[in-house]
Amino acid sequence: MSASAKKRIMREYTECMKDTPAGMKINFDEQNMTKWEVLMDGPEGSVYAGGHFKLEIIFPNEYPFKPPVVSFRTKIYHPNVSNDDKGSMCLGLLRPDEWKPPNKVVAVLRLIQSLMVEPNIDDAIEPSIGNEYKENRKEFEKSAKDWVKRYAK
Amino acid sequence: MSSPADVDTVGGPPNSPSPLQIRASNSLNSKSHRAPLTKQPADLHLLEYVHEPDSNLVCLICHAPFDRPVQLFCAHFFCKDCLEHAWRAQHDGRKTCPTCRSSVDPDKDLRPVPKIVETMLDELLVKCPNAQAGCAWVEQRVNVHDHVMLYCEATLVECAQHDCRLHISQKDFHKGCLHYTVSCEDCHTSMMKKDLEDHQRTACANRSTNCPHCDTTLLRLHLDAHIKEACANVTIPCQGSIVGCTFTAERTQTNLHEKSCPMATMAPHFRDQQARIERNEARLEPLTRKVGILEDGLSSITNMLYPANDSSTTFPVTNPLDPNISYSFPPTNLIPTPDFRLPPASFPPVPHNESHPSQPPFDSQVHHLLTLHESLRDEVNRIANALTELDGRTNMMVINESQRTKDEMLHTNAAINGMRMQLHWLMSATLQQRNSARTSAANGSAGGSNARSTAQGAGAGAGASVARPGPIGDFPNGPLRRLSDSTRQDTKL
Repeated sequence: MSASAKKRIMREYTECMKDTPAGMKINFDEQNMTKWEVLMDGPEGSVYAGGHFKLEIIFPNEYPFKPPVVSFRTKIYHPNVSNDDKGSMCLGLLRPDEWKPPNKVVAVLRLIQSLMVEPNIDDAIEPSIGNEYKENRKEFEKSAKDWVKRYAK
Repeated sequence: MSSPADVDTVGGPPNSPSPLQIRASNSLNSKSHRAPLTKQPADLHLLEYVHEPDSNLVCLICHAPFDRPVQLFCAHFFCKDCLEHAWRAQHDGRKTCPTCRSSVDPDKDLRPVPKIVETMLDELLVKCPNAQAGCAWVEQRVNVHDHVMLYCEATLVECAQHDCRLHISQKDFHKGCLHYTVSCEDCHTSMMKKDLEDHQRTACANRSTNCPHCDTTLLRLHLDAHIKEACANVTIPCQGSIVGCTFTAERTQTNLHEKSCPMATMAPHFRDQQARIERNEARLEPLTRKVGILEDGLSSITNMLYPANDSSTTFPVTNPLDPNISYSFPPTNLIPTPDFRLPPASFPPVPHNESHPSQPPFDSQVHHLLTLHESLRDEVNRIANALTELDGRTNMMVINESQRTKDEMLHTNAAINGMRMQLHWLMSATLQQRNSARTSAANGSAGGSNARSTAQGAGAGAGASVARPGPIGDFPNGPLRRLSDSTRQDTKL
């Protein structure tokens, strides 16, 4: 990773620190600045309220020309998060062909937060959960809350 | 090795230049000849800026103020290097604007930026890139190149020794190759010769230094403790500041003040309390979490037990603790026949809570569980009592019944004895008859068939009484003997 890319990550971190989205905490290791650990509270008013989620943001060597890789380390019942041990998330500006170098990490964090309030069904990585969200909202909310209770307390 | 200056070095310089060479490299000619060749120009992306730069002057790719900016026809600005970098990363080889993705022809669409933008960038104040090496230079960015390339003492240049590949700061260049290991004579740490002076001046813990506040001379390793605890000239706040005393002065003054300050005298006490509160809070937190988990578990258990809490009317519920409800058990009248009915079953109490039918019946789940437990214990007690009582009653009944049976048996025995006596009497009468008949037959032929039939009957009677030890043979003519006690014992109970 080039020195200027590291500098950019450093600058983005200070920017995030100045204007952290509500309910988020970023753990940053100067030795390994390409891996951020984000602790995020479930947004109020969403089914995930009251849960605490751990995310990992990994910056590839080609950053900012390649998108950062976002994954949920805490299991979450969500149409846009893969239901495996990776918990990966790949949509919108995080998609390699959608990503633009001027995008910022803060924008990524805000995207994640808004997706937790309102999942993007057309872009679901877990189609079964997406269908449930569309057709049986009650059941979806029940499972999501159950998972929050079980994994995200 | 023989010169006194080399005494504290561990290994001598591998090819230390002769004094003549050093003087030669120090001469104006050689310095101006060699130094500029080996210097690295400053990378503008990595500069530290004195003030936060205006966000309009910042490249969206490297997030630093533009370095040699270019403008695309879509009016987006980037550093020249960043743009080329972005295009190199695009696999399909297409060149687009990183912001708006409109395609770009690098020959036609790249334009220089307006002069005013370049001027603004040039006027940004930056720190010297060698600030970490001790250069305090701060100037406009336009001058940074000249400073680094010509004036900065801390700029790294290639070592004067031509077979040494390492770098050295410009100010040490004329000293010859300093890249050999020495050990600090005070703290015995080993390091490169070029770092030794710096180490001894600013870092070595075993060197004496002056306290910046009171000019006391002491070892550097004691300096922190001295400033923190002893230095008389350090400005410290009064100890009572944790409870609101605003007094702040030099240590001597503060010590005087603290003798009279009531808040300072209370401070240790408050600190203790504070520490205790913090400890308790730290302990409380896991407990709260535990209670939360337990409450969840409890509510799920409650839900399992009572699928609907509000259906208390469908449950025949009685409260065993309620003195108004009298039970039919234990019965007050004692009857000989045992009552095998179990005490009426009672369910754990679910008090009526009509105002909040969907709430758990008690103000706290724990209370509810405790009450359940209490009522179960009562019930077990009651069942135990009932069992004891039942046991006693069954025993009584058995004794009564067996007494009656005993009496009946006695009666039967007496009756049997009477019958036996009668039988004996009858038998002895028959025997007598037969004897008299035998004597009369011996005397005469009288008595024909009548006598024979009697004899036959007597023979049968004698046969029946064979079991008894010879009453007939012994006493053929004697009076009937009463049966011995030994025979009667057979039937005695």
